Amino acid sequence: MVLITLVRDYIDRMLHDIPGMKVLVLDPETVGMVSVVYSQSDLLRKEVFLVETVDNASSSRESMAHLKAVYFIRPSSDNVQKLRRHLAAPRFAEYHLFFSNILKIPQIQVLADSDEQEVVQQVQEFYADFCAIDPYHFTLNIHNNHVYMLPTVVDPPGMQSFCDRAVDGIASVFLALKRRPVIRYQRTSDVAKRIAQETARLMYEQESGLFDFRRTENSSLLLVIDRRDDPVTPLLNQWTYQAMVHELIGIENNKVDLRGYLNVPKDQKEVVLSSVQDDFFRANMLENFGDLGMNIKRMVDDFQHLSKTSQNIQSISDMSKFLNNYPEYRKTHGNVTKHVALVSEMSRIVEERKLMLISQTEQELACTSGQAAAFEAVTSLLNNESVSDIDRLRLVMLYALRYEKESPVQLMQLFNKLASCSAKYKSGLVQFLLKQAGVDKRTGDLYGNRDLLNIARNMARGLKGVENVYTQHQPLLFQTMEGIVKARLRDADYPLVGNHFQQNRPQDVVIFIVGGTTYEEARTVALYNAANPGIRFFLGGSVVLNSKRFLDDLGEAQRISKSSSLV
Amino acid sequence: MATRNRTPLYRKYRDALRHVRAPAGAPSASASSSSSPGGGPVIEMASLLRSDRPYAPLSTDDPSTTSSRGAATVGLPPAWVDVSEEISANMQRARTKMAELAKAHAKALMPSFGDGRDDQRAIEILTHEVTDLLKRSEKRLQKLSMKDSSEDSNVRKNVQRSLATDLQNLSMEFRKKQSTYLKQLRQQKEGQDGVDLEMNINGSKSTFELGDDEFEDMGFTEVQMSKLKKSEAFTREREREIEQVVESVNELAQIMKDLSVLVIDQGTIIDRIDYNIQNVAASVEEGYKQLQKAERTQKKGGMVMCATVLVILIFIMIVLLILKKILF
Repeated sequence: MVLITLVRDYIDRMLHDIPGMKVLVLDPETVGMVSVVYSQSDLLRKEVFLVETVDNASSSRESMAHLKAVYFIRPSSDNVQKLRRHLAAPRFAEYHLFFSNILKIPQIQVLADSDEQEVVQQVQEFYADFCAIDPYHFTLNIHNNHVYMLPTVVDPPGMQSFCDRAVDGIASVFLALKRRPVIRYQRTSDVAKRIAQETARLMYEQESGLFDFRRTENSSLLLVIDRRDDPVTPLLNQWTYQAMVHELIGIENNKVDLRGYLNVPKDQKEVVLSSVQDDFFRANMLENFGDLGMNIKRMVDDFQHLSKTSQNIQSISDMSKFLNNYPEYRKTHGNVTKHVALVSEMSRIVEERKLMLISQTEQELACTSGQAAAFEAVTSLLNNESVSDIDRLRLVMLYALRYEKESPVQLMQLFNKLASCSAKYKSGLVQFLLKQAGVDKRTGDLYGNRDLLNIARNMARGLKGVENVYTQHQPLLFQTMEGIVKARLRDADYPLVGNHFQQNRPQDVVIFIVGGTTYEEARTVALYNAANPGIRFFLGGSVVLNSKRFLDDLGEAQRISKSSSLV
Repeated sequence: MATRNRTPLYRKYRDALRHVRAPAGAPSASASSSSSPGGGPVIEMASLLRSDRPYAPLSTDDPSTTSSRGAATVGLPPAWVDVSEEISANMQRARTKMAELAKAHAKALMPSFGDGRDDQRAIEILTHEVTDLLKRSEKRLQKLSMKDSSEDSNVRKNVQRSLATDLQNLSMEFRKKQSTYLKQLRQQKEGQDGVDLEMNINGSKSTFELGDDEFEDMGFTEVQMSKLKKSEAFTREREREIEQVVESVNELAQIMKDLSVLVIDQGTIIDRIDYNIQNVAASVEEGYKQLQKAERTQKKGGMVMCATVLVILIFIMIVLLILKKILF
């Protein structure tokens, strides 16, 4: 519960010291950050009776002098401008301003200038500038995520805002953890280097006083890596609960939108999947689909038992017992319907898109070598009528990433086939992916075929056989984590910023993936943390990817780079 | 969890700016009030009032700035705040009463030599009071959400929700206490019956032993009869108590049922902050749309129609009139 607890504690502290009825004012980004860790009933318990957004709060002019306003917003210039307007004509009795990140001195001056009536009681910086979706997984939800693939010259302001947001998020995670890290980055990625260097400048030069925690330095590490170093993970179909929901339906800030689906009960059009509030989900989010089915069956059985006992109420004591358990009963009821709806919807999609078949080939493409067999399998799947366009595209991409250098003729054949099969396919997207994340661009040993040790290990695994064909892929991140723990990460590939050295094994490691994380990686991190006490890994990224989002970003980046090269 | 307090810095800037602003503000104030006689004291008053904000609305001399400012910063809270405060006060009272009740329960359940009638009485009264308080709070709570304007009604709804959650928890706790007491009472009663039975058997045995053959067909002795009667009365008393408790449990069940509409289920989408915000935004938009639609229908509706018909009729009449003039 680490990251979630941190943000919760911040909010608790914010609301705790202010007595009386309160209104919480958030901006569009902090709404998400607060929502994933705090619930409406928690807020009510803290006497927060109204939640508004900064834009909303300015539009209505109703005076509410009996309420105290608690602002929790990002210190963006846009927000500061809005806040100025609010302060110039105050509607609430008191204003308590909390900013989610470091305020610049001019911003404080501007605010002080507009506060003519002296309604502001306090101005604080509470560093909760990230969206803590899971205990060890955070995201920044950056909108223009595709810009990381473009060279800087194409869209300098977009790149600047992207990097600023990333640096802000990383800085606030370390402030919340009370650590100043040693910073490393992936050498081949320009954007990772830029973010790492800007973070270092912030932590060691601009705000070195703030980051001075008098702890044993060098006990924590920040590693900035690029999504393009492992383009395979976001392209694979997923078979563990949380990752699968995100891949097939889509999770946004722990919320799943089921409105487009037909056989979903009416009160479950939007559901929450939070590992904090939902015990069943916490226990099963990392399980694979088969085990999940068994567990759901067990849960339904339990529930059936419960509802059966509640049905035969004969005596008064039965009745009072039932009424005592009634709220619990209702909660369980909602939970059971939610998970059953999700799982049944997902198995329908799996059936419809023949994902079992596809996923097997995908996993083989990612994990085992054998170019001829792979080509065979991909061709037959491309010929299969019931395979959807997006799955075809992904298969070809996976094949191309793996066998980029071997037999270009066959690769060309696949491209042509893809173009003829699926109408919507934008030509050149696979080539663009290869240009972005081809073998020459990658640092890590994605397929484990660069040095002899890895090849030997892979062969050993092949001989041993795999437990589950659908979940045999292990993201590259796992190797990176092993490398960090065993101090095997090469300085040439992952150089340090500045002249700081990692003396001993780090205790807290934040891995930030520029371009977005996946739930499969989050699962790897969570399992690793559970198995290895004494070291904590935190995973963060600009967004949480599924294959659709990754392909969208790719397409957008391709479009922009094409149009800019034309000009 | 590092934080940084920027308030001192902010205050410093604000004070500095006030000093800059003050000389700039004073001339303008004097200029505005110089026309009125005795401008000097008024300014002093206004500035004094400004520093002491809560009394600001009293000053009507400076309508341009001070009074509007006063209205924004002070202003009485709306009436429903009193209601909510009353409810929470009631609940607080109920809570203390419940603590007393728990003590009384414990005392009543303890075996004692007296017949414990006082205890019973006390329990009865307390139970009644608590139930009454809860019921009253619930009634008030229903009243809290009446027709009103947009934003205030949101606040109101949330206050109501939070109070409802509290009230639900309180009544749950109360009911749990009641039902455990009931259970213990029952157990005691059963135990007592058992003891009585045993005593009867014992007693009858002893009579058998005592009165060899003369009293054989006598049945119960005087003493036994009186004992039986006494225990019967005792049982009846307990029965009545149990009934009473059951009744209060049922009453509470009703309250629970009413409250459950208001209380948010935790862990569901309704409990999400962003969902609620979106909902508010959506409903505002919806309201705006409805308003537009209403405007349109009004335009189309009866009044306009009637007017146009009348205008047309007038026109026809005029034509007729003209025709009549021309023809005849």
